[in-house]
Amino acid sequence: MVQRQREGEIRPDRRGWSLRSYMALFMVVLLAVAAVAAFSVRFMTELDARQAAVADTNFAAEKAAALLKSGFDQINDLSIPLSKDPSIGQLFADPTKCKLGYAPLGAFKTGRMDLVRLDGSVVCSSSKAAAPGGASPYNSQSWLSATAPIVVAPVLDPVTGGQVVVISYPIAGKGALVWFLDLVPIGPFLASEFGSGTHSLEFLITGENNQAVIARSIDSAQWVGKKLSAAPSASTSSNAGSPDLNDTNRIYGASIRNAAGWHLYVGADEAEALAVADLSANRFLVIILIGVGAMSLVVWVAYRRVAEPVRRLSLVMRGSTAEQPASVAVGAGAREVTDLAEDFDKLMATITHEEADRLATEEKVADSERNYRSLFESNPQPMWLYDIHTLAFLRVNDAAIARYGYSRDEFLAMTVKDIRRPENVPKFLQLTAHPPAFAKTGPWTHLMKDGSTLEVLVTSHAVSFGEKEARFVMAEDLTESQRLELELHQSQARAEASAALNRAKDEMVSLVSHEMRTPLASIVGFTELLTTREVTPEQRKEYLSVMLQEGHRLTALINDFLDLRRIEGGHMTMSFAPADIGALIKRVVEVFGKSGRSVVTARLADHLPLVRADSDSIFRVVANLLSNARKYSPNGGAIVVSAASVDGMVEISVQDQGLGIPADALSHLFQKFYRIDTADRRAIRGTGLGLAISKNIVEAHGGTIGARSAGPGLGSLFYFTLPVGREQSRAGDVLVVEDDSGFAHLLQAELATREISSVWAADAETAEQLLAKNGARAVVLDLLLPGLSGEAFLQRLRETYGPSIPVVVITLKDLELSENLALQQLGVTGVLRKGPGISGAAADLIENALAAQLVAR
Amino acid sequence: MTIVRRRTPPVLQILRTVLIADDEPSMRLLVHATIESDDYAVVEAADGAEAWAMVQKHKPSLVLLDVQMPERTGIEVLRSIKADPNLNATKVILLTSKAQESDVEAGLIAGADFYLTKPFSPLDLLTRVEEALQL
Repeated sequence: MVQRQREGEIRPDRRGWSLRSYMALFMVVLLAVAAVAAFSVRFMTELDARQAAVADTNFAAEKAAALLKSGFDQINDLSIPLSKDPSIGQLFADPTKCKLGYAPLGAFKTGRMDLVRLDGSVVCSSSKAAAPGGASPYNSQSWLSATAPIVVAPVLDPVTGGQVVVISYPIAGKGALVWFLDLVPIGPFLASEFGSGTHSLEFLITGENNQAVIARSIDSAQWVGKKLSAAPSASTSSNAGSPDLNDTNRIYGASIRNAAGWHLYVGADEAEALAVADLSANRFLVIILIGVGAMSLVVWVAYRRVAEPVRRLSLVMRGSTAEQPASVAVGAGAREVTDLAEDFDKLMATITHEEADRLATEEKVADSERNYRSLFESNPQPMWLYDIHTLAFLRVNDAAIARYGYSRDEFLAMTVKDIRRPENVPKFLQLTAHPPAFAKTGPWTHLMKDGSTLEVLVTSHAVSFGEKEARFVMAEDLTESQRLELELHQSQARAEASAALNRAKDEMVSLVSHEMRTPLASIVGFTELLTTREVTPEQRKEYLSVMLQEGHRLTALINDFLDLRRIEGGHMTMSFAPADIGALIKRVVEVFGKSGRSVVTARLADHLPLVRADSDSIFRVVANLLSNARKYSPNGGAIVVSAASVDGMVEISVQDQGLGIPADALSHLFQKFYRIDTADRRAIRGTGLGLAISKNIVEAHGGTIGARSAGPGLGSLFYFTLPVGREQSRAGDVLVVEDDSGFAHLLQAELATREISSVWAADAETAEQLLAKNGARAVVLDLLLPGLSGEAFLQRLRETYGPSIPVVVITLKDLELSENLALQQLGVTGVLRKGPGISGAAADLIENALAAQLVAR
Repeated sequence: MTIVRRRTPPVLQILRTVLIADDEPSMRLLVHATIESDDYAVVEAADGAEAWAMVQKHKPSLVLLDVQMPERTGIEVLRSIKADPNLNATKVILLTSKAQESDVEAGLIAGADFYLTKPFSPLDLLTRVEEALQL
């Protein structure tokens, strides 16, 4: 029985081998493994090389067979319909009508195609070599008597004397369509298709029963047509090589037999394949040798640096006691061993000095707290601590008291909000809601006790102050150099923004020049054709109409583009005035709704408020949306233009039942030149700018524009909003009814110099609504208005409000006598013809009429 | 290669084919009118996908290819042509409306035989077509 040993003691029978023995055993195993690896690698690489060569040949054979088949297929596709065509007899009758050409077909790079009579003479040929007329070069050739399409190879071409494959398609009772395809280039072509590769490949094609060579990639001219005694043997299970026609050993894959009975062999050079395998095996051997050498070195060093020092350490420690500490000081040795020795020394030293160290540390802590406190209290920069929840000051230093003028007690009774201007407090609270651990912010304006202000940069840190979460703040006066730096930053930001704007402009110019090139190319091209060629009158008409259409397209593009630049650049002035959007929509429908397949209806909510709008621009937006709805409804369908009040705005929408819009395109619709490219839209033309222009106009009005669609084929809805006119509630002395915004403004200015207030309406419908709401003391009326005419408006004014309101009429044309009389009967104060200075005259007339009204009262 | 019947009485001809691919009808008309000839047949395609289908069907000797087309761009069609060993006899002339060097380079690297920038001279185009077909 073995007795249980106490912990820490080592049983003598478990002492084990010495480190030296382990190292020796390790070296023996290492060498054995290396030897086995070297031998098996040599064996495996050779096996791999043979398999790779077979795989290469099989792959090349498949590809080469496909190239051959592609050639045969193309010849069949071309020849069978032609040889069976009933009208081919006419070519035999009249050879001058026959034109033949030859282009490379799969693996057949060169050759020719002849139409041959039964007697062997040529009707026509794609090559000059087999010229028609003359003797019958193919007389008594065997393939000429075949009744079905036939492939014969190799054949000595009677015309050129070269080796060819003959493919003959008989034409019943007449002759045959015959292809003569050169055999010599086929082998080299197949080889070139697969490059030189790792193993130089041999391509060999033999006829039925392997009787003769049809094509060979090596020494092609010498071998094509040669009779063969035996075919190359396919690879065996061990992938061993066999001699080829030149007695070079080759590894052959499986042969392929095609429809014409040809056999295709591909063989890889055996010696070359094995040379590669040898090379890689040798490289591997070198790596193994280097590995074994390196491992031996490591083992030797480890032995030297571990075993020796451990032995010495153990000797010294046996002689050491607590009263008489011995220093081990082992010199060179592994790091673990050196560490062990040093730890032993340190343990001894620590036990001796521990108490002295503890006293010294306490002294240092007290010292450092004194230092920090004085750093805060006597720092020349104002500093404070505040509670981040209550914002109350917790500590302030002397510099802060001196700089801000508050006493310490005053400070501690305030919060940090109190030293900021009231208008800056929201921004400050926002910033401190989620304070970062460290922040440098500013410039801030701080208030001092005497009411004057201070520009500071603020550095702050999160700290804890006893139990509270606090923030330490240091305020730094903004120096002149910092101020300059801030300004520099701002001006750099402005410069970057302007550079970005310039880049956008450059991109725009390149986009526009691209869009213009297509119509321009048509116009320039057809002009050159017309000036350099004889053309028929019909062609001339067709070309000219395309040129006209492309010219219109170019014009529309330039106009739209210039308009867009004007609006985007803020150069287009909008004349905002109250406008009756319902009347405007009716006018658009009147002008653009009649022609075409779609039925356009306006659906207007009752009692629409007047909107604030530039009537001409909004007319254009509605017209653009309506024109798009019609263009993208090629099959017709109802189009509804509607308007309704929504949330204090008026929403105008155009709904169609046309092609609809894919969901992913909706967000891009309003970009310049964006087009949805699908087949059903290709014929629909446009400049690609209409919606971009509309978007700019609507946004200049303070409205929004957008589109919705359930998807392709389900129609689409475009909508935009306009703000309700604020001027509605304002009454003016004079109502100016005038569609020309420039003249209206002039007139209003003239009235204003006479201290007469006025309200402008761009059409009669708007004017009627303004009158009904606010009334007017006098009216200036242009006769020529969009929608309801001036005369009709005047008629209705008199019917509703009686003869008391003075009306001054402005006309563009000379009036007939009868028209003048009709106006007089309606009690107009004056009729003025539009021209220079007429606004002043109209204002004078109004002023007089208003004065007369006062006298009359 | 394709077989086309033209005029009366019917005469059989084996003719080479030229494909025009452009999404603008006016450009197709212009190019067609310019290169119209008895020496080859002309077919048209109105986008990149149709162009590739026509290339596979007709195996044209020459393709006049617009660069900016819907479905597949001209460059994509060009790459497909150059990647197909059955089409190694097909030549390509690019028609581009971008005058930027990089696009032209991309086209030539993809294997175009020549390029013309819109607007181009029809006579120049005809010369290039005849060169490409070695007429």
